Amino acid sequence: MKAVGARLPRYDGVAHVTGRTVFVDDVRVPGTLWVKALRSPVHHADITRLDTSAAETMKGVHAVVTWQDVPLLEYGHLSALGIPADEPLLAKDEVRYKGQPIAIVAAEDEETAMAAVAAMKLDLQEKPALFDVRKAFDADAPVVHQWGNWYPHFEAEMDRRQIRKGDIDRAFADADVIVQGVYRPAAIEHVPVETQSCQVVPEANGRLTIYSCTQALYFSLGVVAAHLQVPLNRLKVVGGTVGGGFGGKVDTATETMCCLLAQKSGRPVRWRWTREEEFLCSSTRAPWHMEIADAVTEDGWILGRKMLTLHDSGAYARFSPYGLTKHSFHHTGAYTIPNLHFDGYVVFTNRVPTTAMRGFGVTSVSFATETHVSRIAEVLGVDPWEIRLKNANRIGDTSPNGVAYADPSTVPVVKALADGVGAKLAPNLQAMTPAAREGDLLPEHLVAQIGNPEDH
Amino acid sequence: MAVHRGRGIAAIEYPTGMNQNGDPSQAWIKVKPDGRIDVFAGTSDIGNGSKTIQSQIVAETIGVPYDWVTYDNSNTDSSPVCTGTFASRATFVAGKAVEKAALKVREKILEIAGKELEIDPSDLEIVDGEVVAKGAPQKKIGVPDVAAAATWGHGELITGTGAQLKPYATIVDPETGRVDLPPHSAISYASCAAEVEVDDETGVVRVLHLWQCYDVGRAINPTLVEGQIEGGAVQGLGLGVLENCYPYYPSAEHRGGQFGSYLAPGAENLPQIDTIIIENPSSDGPYGAKGIGEMANNGQPPAIAAAVYDAVGVWVTELPITPEKVLRALAAKAEPRRAGKLVVFDEELSVNAVSDGGIRFEVPA
Repeated sequence: MKAVGARLPRYDGVAHVTGRTVFVDDVRVPGTLWVKALRSPVHHADITRLDTSAAETMKGVHAVVTWQDVPLLEYGHLSALGIPADEPLLAKDEVRYKGQPIAIVAAEDEETAMAAVAAMKLDLQEKPALFDVRKAFDADAPVVHQWGNWYPHFEAEMDRRQIRKGDIDRAFADADVIVQGVYRPAAIEHVPVETQSCQVVPEANGRLTIYSCTQALYFSLGVVAAHLQVPLNRLKVVGGTVGGGFGGKVDTATETMCCLLAQKSGRPVRWRWTREEEFLCSSTRAPWHMEIADAVTEDGWILGRKMLTLHDSGAYARFSPYGLTKHSFHHTGAYTIPNLHFDGYVVFTNRVPTTAMRGFGVTSVSFATETHVSRIAEVLGVDPWEIRLKNANRIGDTSPNGVAYADPSTVPVVKALADGVGAKLAPNLQAMTPAAREGDLLPEHLVAQIGNPEDH
Repeated sequence: MAVHRGRGIAAIEYPTGMNQNGDPSQAWIKVKPDGRIDVFAGTSDIGNGSKTIQSQIVAETIGVPYDWVTYDNSNTDSSPVCTGTFASRATFVAGKAVEKAALKVREKILEIAGKELEIDPSDLEIVDGEVVAKGAPQKKIGVPDVAAAATWGHGELITGTGAQLKPYATIVDPETGRVDLPPHSAISYASCAAEVEVDDETGVVRVLHLWQCYDVGRAINPTLVEGQIEGGAVQGLGLGVLENCYPYYPSAEHRGGQFGSYLAPGAENLPQIDTIIIENPSSDGPYGAKGIGEMANNGQPPAIAAAVYDAVGVWVTELPITPEKVLRALAAKAEPRRAGKLVVFDEELSVNAVSDGGIRFEVPA
C-alpha cells in the first residue's frame, strides 16, 4: 500500500471533530492564577507615571510585572537574522499603539485580575499620531519610532529595499504605452478560532513548562529564553496543536509575560485573550500602499516596471523587514520583466504592529501586479490570457534578483485554468510550453536577461 | 438598476520555504520492539495537516503501513528543532527532514534483516511492513521480527535522524538586490478565475464561482491539499470583498472588536469552488512536493477585482471591494488621465497627491 499520494485520514481528525483534542485552553492545572494586562488606551503618548502599588496590595493579587521585571526588555522577532531589536516586552516610557501592554497581573480569578488592572494609575502625555504611510516622509509628520518613520535597512546603510535590473529608462522610452495605478489591500485579522492563549507551570525543579499555541515551538522557546536570559533547558514549550494560526501565532505574544508572572508568584498562571483583545490588540496583516508604472508595447509585452511600495509596519518592526524583502523578490509576479526599478519602505505608524500572515509579503504584490496586468490588457485591448501566457516566466528567464528559473509552471497553470473555465485559447497560445524562449517568444527586449539555471 | 455578471483571471507564484532560506528542520525516529515507528519532530500543526503528511512520508519511505506510525510534535524536550509552521515550509522543509530520518531507519532495518536472513542488505527491500529478498519474495522477515531481533538479540536501537537546511542567501548588493545564492527553493504556481455578480443599486459584490489551478509538485495527500486550496479560497474571498481591520483606513477609528463588527467570510459567502491540481515535481521537496499553503489566498483578490470591472466597468483597487466603494466608483465614473503615451489611474490615491512632497513616485516618460 502506498502512503504518499493516498487520501489517508487526517492524523488527528477524529479528535478534532469529537472535541477531544487538547488545546492550550483545555489544560487544567490546580492553583492556576488568571492573567490580565493594562494596555495603552491611546495611540501615542509618553508615560509620565505608572503606579501599580494599589494593585499589588489588593487581596487575591499574587504578582504584578512591569518593564522593570524583564531581564532583557527588548528582543527583536528577527534577532536571529541580525535585525536589531526595537520593541519592549512591556512599555517603558512611551506607548506607540492603542492596546500596547504596559503592566500585567496574576490574580486568583479573572474578576480580581481585572479589578487590579483598573486600580493601576497611569498618567499619559498624549502625542500626535501617524496613520497614513504616505505622509510619513513629510517634514511635519509625527515621529513614531526611535529609528525615524521608516526602517533602516542594511544596518542603516539604506533607507529602503531596492531592486534594480536592466535599463529602466530605455524601457520607458521604448514603450508604446505607460500604464500607472495604485493598489491598497487592507489590514485584516487572522481570526483564529483559538485566541492567543498560554499556561505556564513553575516546576519543582525550577524549570518552567509553557503550554503554548505557537506556530513555531523552537522560535518561541528562543524568544522566551532571550527575554528571561536563561539557557534553553530551563524551559519546556508544550504545544504543536494549534487552533488556527495563519501567521499571527508566530508572534510570541503571551508566553514570556506568563513566565515572568509564574516566576514572581511561584504559581501556575494562564492567560486567554478575549475575542476583543484578539481583534484589537493582536497583530494584523499589514495594509500596503503600492504604485506601479509599467512600460508596455501595443501587442502586450511588458518591457519594464517601476514600483514604489510602502509597507505599513505599525508601531514596531516585528517581521516587516523580512516581509518587504520577500515582496521585492516577487514584484514581477509570474512574469518575466527585464527592466526593473523597485523601491520599498517599511513605514512605522501608530497602528498595532503588523506581522506575518498567510502569503506574507506576496499576497499584496499578487493583488497589485495581477490587477495591473488585467488593466493593461483592458487599456491595450489585448486578450487577458494572451498577455499572461506570453509574458509568463519560462525556463532560463531570470527573477528580479537575477536567479534563473529552472522549472516555472505559469504556462501550464494558466492553460489548465482556461480549459477549466471553457475559454477557447488561440492555437498559438494553446501550443505554448514553459520551455526556454525562442522565436516569437524571444523578442529583443528579453534576450539580455536570459540566464542559466545551472549557474546557481 | 440591475445585477451584472463579470469574470476575471489571475496567475500567481510563491516561494516554498523561508525567503533567503536558512531555516532548519530536524527529525528523529525510533522503532519500537514490535516494529511500530515513533516520529519526533518540532513542527506545529496549525490545521495544515503536517502530522498527517509527515507520517505518510515516514510510512512510505520506510515501507510500513501508515497506521504503524506515531507522530509526536508535542514539546521541545523530545522534539528537535523546527523553525516553524510558516513560509509554506512544513511539508517541503520539515517533510524532507523526516524523509531523511526515515531513510536511515530503513537502512538500519535492512542491515539487521540482512543478518537475520543471511542476505546482503542491498538485495533486500521493504514492502508493506515486510523485508523481502529482491527477486525471491519467499525469503522474507516482517519488520516487527526485525525490530524484535534488534532489541532482544542484537542489543541495538533502530533509530535515525534527519535535518534539512538550505543555506542562507545573502543580498550581496543592496543597490540592485542581487543575491549570492538562490533566495528560494521550489516556486509554486497557481491561477484563479472568479465569476461575480455586482448589484449596481446596492454595490454588493457576490462571488459566485472560483476556479483554481495549482502546481503542487506532488500531492502527498490529495484530500488535504484540496482542503488547503478551498480554505485559502475562502480567506482570499474575505480579503477581496469583506475583511478590513480599519474600515476607514488610514483612520484608526471604527475598528471591529467582535465577530458582529468584523466581516469574516461565513458559510453564506461560499461560492462554488472548482480545483485543478497539476503535479510538476520539485527537485528538492519530499517526493517532489512543493508548498502551496500560503499562496492559496493570493489569487482570488485580483481575479475578483478584474471580474468586478468586467461586470460594471469600474476598477476598485483599495481592498476590500465593499458596497460603499463600488457605489462611489460607479458615481465617479473616473476615467484614467491620458497624456501622450501615459495612462494614469487612481491619481487621487498616489503619494504625489497625498504627501506634502516628502515622497514622490516619478515615472520616466
